[in-house]
Amino acid sequence: MEFSHDRSGDTLVVNASGRVDGSNASDFLESLQGMFDPGDQRIILDLGGLEYISSAGLRVLLMAAQNLDKQNKSFSICSLTEAVGDVFRISGFDQIINVFPSVEDAKQG
Amino acid sequence: MQRSFHLSHPPEQGHPSDVLPLIEDMLNEMAEAEEWPITLTMRANLILEELVLNTLTHGDTSGLTEIDLELESVDHALTIRLTDDGLAFNPLTDAPAPDVTLPLADRPIGGLGVYLVKTMGEELEYRRENDRNHLKLVVNPE
Repeated sequence: MEFSHDRSGDTLVVNASGRVDGSNASDFLESLQGMFDPGDQRIILDLGGLEYISSAGLRVLLMAAQNLDKQNKSFSICSLTEAVGDVFRISGFDQIINVFPSVEDAKQG
Repeated sequence: MQRSFHLSHPPEQGHPSDVLPLIEDMLNEMAEAEEWPITLTMRANLILEELVLNTLTHGDTSGLTEIDLELESVDHALTIRLTDDGLAFNPLTDAPAPDVTLPLADRPIGGLGVYLVKTMGEELEYRRENDRNHLKLVVNPE
């Protein structure tokens, strides 16, 4: 997986691309947590470059979402590819995490 | 198009997840040859990751020595047949179904893998025969 992030005010946009599976899900969690600053109030995860996610990766997203929710921070995901969007629908993740078509939509959401 | 895959366990060295690139390569080859829709490649990969990692992980304590995997792709439908000699495990009945309608704060971490296999897989059949688990299922793109 590859990551980049862009902070603007209290909004953090994280780009994650590549594949997340049972071999690297724990690295994914560590990398995500390492990017969060206490001052970030709104975190947007851009998954436009994510090619593959298994249940191991979904667990990481769920942990991050629950953790940020407890801190009353906003968490959303955007730019899902067709295949990742299919997994989100089937797992019901699109019902519990805010999903937007683009980063711009997520910023306005 | 058919592909098969045999795995001995325990592996000489390494971690169960070392098998994932082999699965990915095999599926990518079939996907390209059969012009699979992207959702079929994703679903097939996800299902095989769950089934094989589950079997290998639990196999560490159940005397598992062999996994055989057969894949058959016809008209954008993939039939998966998985056989292993680990402890009896019927994913249709031996795993509790998570409640996917729970709100965020109440969603348990985990339990999703087998649920996704059962939701994405169709025509699931399980039988225990000659001390082996035999699982068959069909994956469609939608």
